[in-house]
This record gives sequence, C-alpha cells and structure tokens, in this order.
Amino acid sequence: MGKAYVITSGKGGVGKTTSSANIGTALAMLGKKVCLMDLDIGLRNLDVVLGLDNRIMYDIVDVASGRASLGQALVKDKRFDDLLYLLPAAQNTDKTALTQDQVVQIVNEIKPDFDYVLIDCPAGIEQGFMNAIAGADCAIIVTTPEISAVRDADRVVGLLEQHPLKEEPHLIINRIRTHMMKDGSVMDVDEITHHLGVALLGIIFDDDAVITTSNQGEPVVLQADDPAGQGYRDIARRLEGESVPLMQMKDEVHPSFWKKIGNWFKKG
Amino acid sequence: MQDAAVLKGTNDGYEIILDDEADLNDVFAALRKLLKKLETQTATGSSQPIAFDIQTGLRLWSADNRSEIEKIFSKFQLFSVHKIISDVITKEESARILEQESVHILDRVIRNGQIIHIQGDVLFLGKIHEGGKLIVGGNVYVLGDVHGVIQAGYPDLEDKMIIGDVHNAQQVRIGEQHEILDDTNQKITENTVVYVNDLHVLDYGKVEDLKQINPKFFNQIGGVING
Repeated sequence: MGKAYVITSGKGGVGKTTSSANIGTALAMLGKKVCLMDLDIGLRNLDVVLGLDNRIMYDIVDVASGRASLGQALVKDKRFDDLLYLLPAAQNTDKTALTQDQVVQIVNEIKPDFDYVLIDCPAGIEQGFMNAIAGADCAIIVTTPEISAVRDADRVVGLLEQHPLKEEPHLIINRIRTHMMKDGSVMDVDEITHHLGVALLGIIFDDDAVITTSNQGEPVVLQADDPAGQGYRDIARRLEGESVPLMQMKDEVHPSFWKKIGNWFKKG
Repeated sequence: MQDAAVLKGTNDGYEIILDDEADLNDVFAALRKLLKKLETQTATGSSQPIAFDIQTGLRLWSADNRSEIEKIFSKFQLFSVHKIISDVITKEESARILEQESVHILDRVIRNGQIIHIQGDVLFLGKIHEGGKLIVGGNVYVLGDVHGVIQAGYPDLEDKMIIGDVHNAQQVRIGEQHEILDDTNQKITENTVVYVNDLHVLDYGKVEDLKQINPKFFNQIGGVING
C-alpha cells in the first residue's frame, strides 16, 4: 500500500509542478513505483515537464466520470521500465469538474499498486486545493525565499491545521540564491523553517538547468552533477527514511585576484 | 400562610420579595393585592412615586414572566419597578459570564488568514503571523510575538487595553478605533499600554502609568461586573 503526498504551495509559480516531476522521477530512480497525479485541471503541465504530453489518451476527469478506466488513463514513462506513471489533468474543463469524493476514490484505487502517489496541487486555496488535499496522507509545502511565497505557505499551513492529514506536513524551500541569502536580502532557510514551524524536507538551489531540462521534458534529477537535481535526489532519499545532510551553501566560484595571476604562470 | 409577595423596607428604599416556591399565579395575585393595598394606604398620604426592587429569590424568571410583573405595575400610577434581582441565572448565562470574566491563556500560532475570536481577557503567549488576527472582547496581555492584527474590546468597548509588546504588529485596534502602526511614529516598547483616551483616540502609554491611564482597571479584577 503506497502513501499519497500532495505537493502544494498556495502561491503559483514557486515550483510545485517541477518539484512533483523531479521528486517522482528521483523516487523511480531509487526503484520505487510512483504515480504522479496532476490535479491542476484546466492548466495541465506536469505532462509537459515529464515529456509525456504526446502520449495522453484519457485524463483524470474521464476516470472520475467513468468514461475511461484508470488503467487506460495512466501514462507510462518508458525511461523507467514499469516504475513511473502519470495520471494527467483534463484541459477542457475546470477545477469544479471533480469532487473531493471522486479524488479520494481515485487515490484509493491507485495506492495499492504503487509505493508513492504524488498529487500536484493547483495554485490557490479554493476547491482545487481542497480536492488535492482530500486524497493525501501527507502534504509537502513548496515555498521560495520570497516573502509573498512564505506568506501564502503560512496560509496553507493554517488551512492544513484546519483539515489535518494523517501526517504532519513537510517543507521544501525552492529557488535558493546563495548570494542573496548570504547577504541577508532574503529570509534564510532557518528563518523560513522556524517561521512556518514545519519540518524541513529539503532545499533546492536556483539553477538554470531546471528550466532547460524541463523545456526538454527531462526532469533535472536525471543530470548527475546538477545541484538542483542533487537537492531533489536528497529529498527522495529522505522520503525513503534515509538521513541525508542538508546541502551546504557554497559560494559561487570567483577565483581571487592572486589566484588569477597565479594561473597565468601555470599556463605559461 | 405567608403571602407570596411581601413588602420590605431597606436602607435604599422598598423591596418586594416574591416567594420562589409559590405557584406563579399565586405570586401575581399576591403582588396585585399588595400593590392595591399600598395604593389605598398611600392615596391618603404623599403622592410621591415609588420605585421598588423586586427580589425573585431562587426562581428563574423567563422574559415573559418578567414582563407580566411590569404589566401589573403599569396599572398603578405611582409605582414602578426599579430593578428585578434574582439569585439565579441560567447555566448558559453563567458560562458566558465566566468566559467574559476570566483570563484565557492562548499559546498558539495564528497564521496568515486565520482569525481567532475570544470573549473575555486574553494572555497571549503565542505568535501572530503577518495577516493573522486576534480579536478579543476584553483586554489583551501580550507576552508573545505579534506581527499581525490585534484587537481588544471587540466589538465596541473602548475601555479595554492592549498591554505588552506590540511594536511588530501590523495594526492595533480597540473597540472601533484602529491604527496602522506603520503610520504612527510613537515609540512602542515592550512595555506599552495601548488604550483609547478621553478624546476617543488610540494612545500609547507605559505600564508604569497604568493607574493614571485607567484607574478603574484595578477595581475590575476579581469581580463579576455584568452579572
């Protein structure tokens, strides 16, 4: 029996979908069987990030309304044998097309065959959000170091306190820019974690490769030496119960003046 | 047998004691009889109006029955009811008073978008995040960390106060008065008293000056006022 995680944030654009795709892929790389569920109905793009958009036949609303079976709607990611599946969102309807009961029913149908069900929650706190948390056992809250994202995350934590899930929520701080955090122009990791009072699951450094890889439909975790990919792989291992130390913030490499001069001589 | 309505003189005037064990109809009849008797007695003497205190003892009187008393009195020109005093109240009412008169200790995080309503005074030990609201009927004593909106005396009691460190708050409100702290240049320390002054304007003082700011405040502690 698998466990269902909802990946949520309140605010849009903080990386819910990217995080869903990457954590899902990272778990599949660890040999776990994962189903990604896109609940961002009307604006689906989890399939695009995974590069599966051309394989969609049916969607979650088709399953809920009985037009298709779950097996017909699930899209298999061929890169990972039989480990990574996607249940796509519908595009030609809106978030009111599903009820909480329908979502719970679908999640319960998926759970026995998978180790993880990751639910990609839409932005906002309306019915789409309520649908997404209805089926989940645990929430993963994604935020960035921006005040607006932290405020919305705070709101979401409050809502989760009102509608408690089986387990306490986890926090991912995304898009960390080392130099801004070091010079104090944004809240640092400890401040955000302490303010929200939510256990930290991982941090992801801001990285151009996240965008380029997602444009190619290949999650960044597949890049072996990428720091953002490393962050997501660490998160997957922590979900598996391993204790993995938090990645250290390294300064961007700026060789010192004397070293530069030294380098001239080496070349000579 | 003793009458169901008995007249008694006290230092403050006259009191009518209604028997709390007699049948209600007997009580009304006895009251009518008593007032009629008093009317004939006073008609010869002075024609000063008299207001009575009505003592109802251990019987719980409904609003209808109370208005019946008023109705009986309305038939007598010179007599009126000063107040009706009862030894009992409903459980509901007592719970409300208890709620209103006790100091509630609140130790929680009030997050963005959450609104917490509490009747009575609050000793706040938790944290109000930006966008969170704590709305209190009585006074608020702040030992925690306030970054949101804090209100005392909700909805319209201007004699309530906020005491403690609110310098990080977004807004302070008392009764119908409010202030956005960004707009005020008053120095607020961790020992601030926020109150409404005689001009109905929010003002800030020090805890040391509390006695001057609100002399009644210290009389209130420990007693039921709205019983």
